[in-house]
Formats: sequence, structure tokens, C-alpha cells
Amino acid sequence: MSSPAGSGSLYHVVEREPPEVMARNLRIAARLFASAMVFAFIAFLFAFFYLRALDASAVWQPATVKPSLALGSAAMLILVAAAIMIRLGLRDHRAERRPAWRIKGAIALALLILFIVVQFVSWTTQAFGPSDGPYASVFFGWTALLTLFVVGLTYWLETTLATSIRYRNQGAQAAIDPGHASGDAHRTAPDIDSPVALVRPAIEAVTTFSTAVAGVGIVTWIVLYLLPA
Amino acid sequence: MILRRLIGFNLLSAVVLGIVGFYVGWWLGNLDTSSNLAYFADTGQNDVALFTAYLTCILGFLTGLGFLKYPINRMLGKPASLREKETSGSSRYFGLCTDHKVVGLQYLIGIGVFVAIGGINAMLIRIELLNPTAETISANNYLTIVGLHGTLMMGMMTSGILGPFANYLVPIMIGARRMAFPRIEALTFWLLMLAGVLLMTTLSYGGFPTGWTGYAPLNIEANMGIDSYLVFFVLVGVSMCLLGLNMLATVITMRAPGLTWGKLPIFVWGVVATSVLMLLAAPVLFSTLIMVALDRTAQTSFFNTQLGGSSYLYENLFWIFGHPEVYILALPGMGIVLEIIVVFSRKPLWGYRLAVAGMLGIALMSWLVWQHHLFVSGINADLRPFYMLSTELVSLPTGFIFVCALGTLWRGRIRLEVPMLFALGWLFNFLIGGLSGVFLSDVPSDVTTHGSFFSMAHFHYTIMGGLLFSFFAAIYFWVPKMTGYAINQRWAKVHFWVMFIAFNSTFGPLLVIGFLGMPRRTVTYAGYLQGANTWVSISAFVLGASMLVFIANFVWSLVFARVPAGSNPWGSKSIEWQLPSPVPVENFAELPTLDGDPYPYGDANDATPVTSAQIGPPA
Repeated sequence: MSSPAGSGSLYHVVEREPPEVMARNLRIAARLFASAMVFAFIAFLFAFFYLRALDASAVWQPATVKPSLALGSAAMLILVAAAIMIRLGLRDHRAERRPAWRIKGAIALALLILFIVVQFVSWTTQAFGPSDGPYASVFFGWTALLTLFVVGLTYWLETTLATSIRYRNQGAQAAIDPGHASGDAHRTAPDIDSPVALVRPAIEAVTTFSTAVAGVGIVTWIVLYLLPA
Repeated sequence: MILRRLIGFNLLSAVVLGIVGFYVGWWLGNLDTSSNLAYFADTGQNDVALFTAYLTCILGFLTGLGFLKYPINRMLGKPASLREKETSGSSRYFGLCTDHKVVGLQYLIGIGVFVAIGGINAMLIRIELLNPTAETISANNYLTIVGLHGTLMMGMMTSGILGPFANYLVPIMIGARRMAFPRIEALTFWLLMLAGVLLMTTLSYGGFPTGWTGYAPLNIEANMGIDSYLVFFVLVGVSMCLLGLNMLATVITMRAPGLTWGKLPIFVWGVVATSVLMLLAAPVLFSTLIMVALDRTAQTSFFNTQLGGSSYLYENLFWIFGHPEVYILALPGMGIVLEIIVVFSRKPLWGYRLAVAGMLGIALMSWLVWQHHLFVSGINADLRPFYMLSTELVSLPTGFIFVCALGTLWRGRIRLEVPMLFALGWLFNFLIGGLSGVFLSDVPSDVTTHGSFFSMAHFHYTIMGGLLFSFFAAIYFWVPKMTGYAINQRWAKVHFWVMFIAFNSTFGPLLVIGFLGMPRRTVTYAGYLQGANTWVSISAFVLGASMLVFIANFVWSLVFARVPAGSNPWGSKSIEWQLPSPVPVENFAELPTLDGDPYPYGDANDATPVTSAQIGPPA
């Protein structure tokens, strides 16, 4: 009988995993996560149409509850622009124009931060609060959730960009010190063979997810700003 | 050295930082001196403070375990890595460890503890129901106990199969070394454990009166105890969504060469079908509970009828999640039962594709039936026939599973070992659960039985009779592989027979009591039902005693007796049984090629599933 799992085994006995495996994982995970995100918004979409149709106390959207179309449109356009910029950055990276990708990635990052700022401005400057009826409730809940996902997207893009910048002078086969990635001092070898090669799959995954977030942003704009009360 | 270990990233640090985080959050939340809800102003209730406390507690707990270290490193541009603390001895069981086998065992013990607590709650319920009046437990406490029992069981057992067994076995069954995202795998476990602990804190805030469904308007009117329920299910939702995502990514991308979809072990198909539901249903729950939390803290009006909201909206949203949730509980059990029946019948799985179609069919249909929970709650009458029909149609793909199981048993060389006994017990119990479910899907009979002990008994026949029996089948079947030690079979058989008989003696009469008109979740009942309730309570105590038999046998066998199980005690031909027990950290010396029949049993088709591999321990 062998010893309990793990005892006596060191990392170096594990073959170093080719980066293609993790690259595939990232691509599929981005699609799966985007699907999950869409279902989170389906709950709000359901609530919107249900409460709008019900309007039990005729308080669905009082006249004073009007979000700023200008700020809403700006937020949506910023989100779409960020998604486009990430996609263009991916094209640059595929064409080995890495400095151009980093510039577009940084612009996209700035745009995502701008979206968060605009969203906060929108919440704090409009003349109604979350307690001003069902529409206001859906508006705040929905946009808060969207902002939460944008924060997540911002983080994901930042990590990808940071790795890309840190190893900007090295190719995809750059050597990584053992233990460098996770800070494990006892590690005897990196567990992913040339982890810098994962930057492109990471950009592809971020592109997929940012496109989905932008899609949700457009639906948000149509439902919350354009549909009549 | 000991001090250094104690103050590192581990469970102790996590608990300390979690408690500190809780009080920091409580203090921060109370800085908001304005009352967050006008109608709670007189009660001194501050839901904002409690939610803030829970949030900072979660952050502190995850920080203590070391979950924030890697994301911060990634922000600094350090590249991705996979493994963490896989070789740190027994301490890896008490912290963040990325070995899928360690996570599987963590899940098994962790979930087991909380299910035991849920079981104790069930005993308390039956003690109270020995008497038709509220003598032992007050009505409020009774409701909290019922709520805790249901919430713990539903929330924890959502990952009851995927947590321990899929995490441990799926990578091995598909010929991989690991899960797609090992840190996320570890995160799902610790989030679930923290969720369980936070739910227990509801007792400090007055409990909650809603049962496991948390219906509006009670959920927005209740005292702060309901906040614990909300945080619990949000964490469970995040955990199950990530677990489903990880499982799907693993099976889609990390299968060994030659392992096509048509050759996947049937248990893996059960995991795939379940994971789809977890991935897509959990976000709906997450959003719904966020809405409740907003209603309680920001005075939104999603579910507050007086402010233009609708409690019926909550019921719809909850069951959009809730009915797939039922199949999240049932589907992996079907995979386990089929997997076990094959081994103990020494026959290939009969109707492999039919079984896969059944599982996927159930997963698909589970999205189309949720309003049958609302037949008596104000559903538009024109919608009733559709939901009645769609619900009854679920019996079709479920029937596929039964046909495949019976077809495999037919003329097989059946061995009544303990895992097989539990698998056969599953077949009997789930059949009763399914047949009683037809009455609840049918509008006229549902109008009579809805909200009664009949629906509760039906539910327990499907979930406890289905999920828990398959859970024990999996424990007796795979734990010898997971630990390397055999479980005493004589006491295991005692456990099975006592549990099987007591289970049916408990829930069979409850079907009748429900028909006689006894409603759920009430602390008192009509006097003429006392005899039947006494019988049920005594049966329930015997059922509880059977769990003590299991625990004693489990602990004795694995901790004290420690009889080596051997690498393949059941003579299975699945790949996990070709590895040493327990499985080494790397799983395989070289990644295998799996292009054979997954069930090569029988004389004519007796090839090994591994056609070109070295699956021994590393040299």
C-alpha cells in the first residue's frame, strides 16, 4: 500500500504541465462564467417585467423617478468601448504587436474605472433613491450587480496586463523562478511550463467575458433607460 | 516552529481573523446611526451592521486561510500557478490545499458534521411532535429548528456528492492530475464551511421563521436572524456556482486522450448534468437573496407589497432556482447508483446512452416546472396545465434511469455487498418518491396535499431516500479507495438494514398523515393524529440511531482498526480502482490514454479500460 496522498512527494516529480492545458481551461471558464453572469441578471430582468406588469399599488415608476439618460448612455458607451478596446488589444497580441496591446489594455482599464465612477455619479446625483418604488429598486439592484461584475472584470484585466508588463521584455518561453508565482518557498519547480505563455489565453478569456459584460450593459441601457414606464 | 505554524495561513488564523473581522464590521456598521429601516427603528435592529459584520468576517476568514495571497500576487503581475500546500503533511487538511483528493476528504468530513447537526435538529422536531401541543419547544424555537434543519440539509447536501466524491474522483476518472482550477476548488469548500457556521449564528439573533424556502413577506419582516439565512445561501450559491464551473471546465478540457464523451463513466455524466444546473441556477438564487438583503437594508421594494413589490415575485424567483436545486441533489446520486450496480452485477451498463439522455433530460426539464410549487399560491389558472404536464413529463427521463438500472441488474451476477444494498435501497425509495410526486404535480390532488406532511414525506423520499442513500453507497464504495482502509462490513450491513427499515417506517406513515390533513411547519396538530405521530417519532429515533451506528463504525474502522482495504476490494474495472489506495498526490505516473469501453464487464467484453498507460505510483 502506498503512503497517504502527498506525503513524501515533491513537486518536481510531477511533470510540468504544458500551458495549453491551462489555456483551454481559461477559455472555457470565461464562457461558463459569462453564462452564469447572464443568469444572475435574468433574475433582475424577471423582477423588472413582473413588477412593471403588476404595478399593484400604481407606484411602479413615479414621475420623479427618472434616471439620467445621459449618464446611463455614457456608462453603456464606456463599457462597450472598453470591450472593443480589449478585443483590439487581443488582435494586436495575436499579431505580436505587444506594446500596442499593452496600450489598448491600459486604455480599457481606464475606461472600466471610468464606468465605475460614472455609475457612482449616477447613483449620487439623481433625484430618487432605492426606496422610491419598484422601478427604483430594480434600477439600483441591477446597476449595483453590473458594477460588481465590472469591478471583477477590471481586476481580471489588471492581472493580465500586469503580467504582460512585468514580462514585457521576455518571450512566451520566459523562465520563471520556482515558487515565484505563488510565493511558495519550498517549491522546486514551476508547475506550469512557461506560465508567461498564458498571457494570450488570459487576454482571450478577458475578451470573452468583457464582451458578455458589454452585452449585459446594452440590455441594461435598453431596459432601464429606454423602455417606457 | 510550532508558533510559526500556528500563525501561518491556516484554519486557526482564519477563525481568529474571521472573529476579528466580524466585530470590526459590526462596529463599522453601527457607525451608521440612522436607522436603516424605519419600521425597525423601535427595535434597535440594524441589519446593515450585521451584513457588514458578516462581510468582513468572510474577508477575514479567507485572508487567514491564505486565499488573498495569490490574487494579490497576480495583481503584481506574477504569473499563474496551480499548486499550493499539497505536500505539507496532515496540516494540509486544515487549510488551503489544492490537491483535489484532500479537498474531497475535507468536504466529506465537513459536510458530514453539518448534516449531523441537521439530523439532531430533525430529532428535536420529532421530540416536539410526540405531543400534539407545544410543550417541549416553543413555537418560535420550533420554527427556527425546522428552518435550520431544512436549510442546513439543503444547503450542505447541494454539494454532498460533488464536494467529496466528484472532487476526489472526477479528475482520476477522466485521467487528469487535477481539477481545472485547484484554488477555486479549495475556495468552494471553505466558503461552504463558513456558510454553515454563519447560519448557526442565527440563534444569537432570534432565529428565523421561514423554513428553508425563506418566503416573502416573512423574510423582510423577520428579525435579524434571517440575515444569517441570507448570508448562508449567498455563500452556498457562490460555492455551488464555482463548483459547477470548475467541474464542467475540468470534464470539458482535461479528459485523457481517447476519452470521448461516449466513453465517460456514468458518474461523470451525472456530475456534468448537475454542474450545468449548479452553474446556472445558483446565480438566480444569489440575485434573489441580494434583493431580499436590499429590501431589508436599503428599503427597496422588490417583495414588499405595500411599497409596490410582490411576495409572489420572491416565490417565483426562489423556485426558478429551487426546482433545479432538487435535481442538483438527485442527479449525482443516479450516477453513483448506476456506477455501483454495474460493478456488483458484473455486467456492462445497460442502455448507457439512454441513461445519459435521462440525466440530461432531467436537467433540461428541471427549468420548466418551477410553478408547480405555486399551484395554490396564486398562479394564473391558464398556466396550471402546462406546469402540470411538464412536471409529469419529468418522470419520463427519470424512468430512463430506472430502466437502465433494472436492465443492468437483469440476469447479472448480483453481489449484495453494502454499497449495492444502498444502491438497491435508493431504487426503492426513489420509486416511492417519484410516485408520490405525481400526486403533487397533479393540480387537483396538489390542492389537497400542498403544504401538508404528504409533500414533506414525498420530498424526504426523493432527497433523503435518494440522495442520502446514494451518499452512503458512495461512502461504502469509495472511502476504502480514498483512505486506504476498509470499513467493517458487518456493522455496515446493520447500518443499512436499520436505516432502510426505519426510514420507511418514518416517512411512509407521514404520507398517510399528510393525506389526513396534518400541515407542515406547525408545532401543534390535531389530537387524533398523535398515535401515528408517536410511531413516526420512534421510527425517526431509530433512524437517528442508525446514523450513530454508521459514525461509530466509520470512526472505528478508519481511526482505530485501520485494516488495509487493498487497491481493488470490489473487483471494479474503473480506472480509479487500478490505482493504489489511497491515490498518490500525482494520481498517475504518466497521463493515461483511455480509449476502451468504460464498463468492460462480462465474458465477451472483458478488456481493461486503460489501454496504454502506466497507472502505478511514480517511480
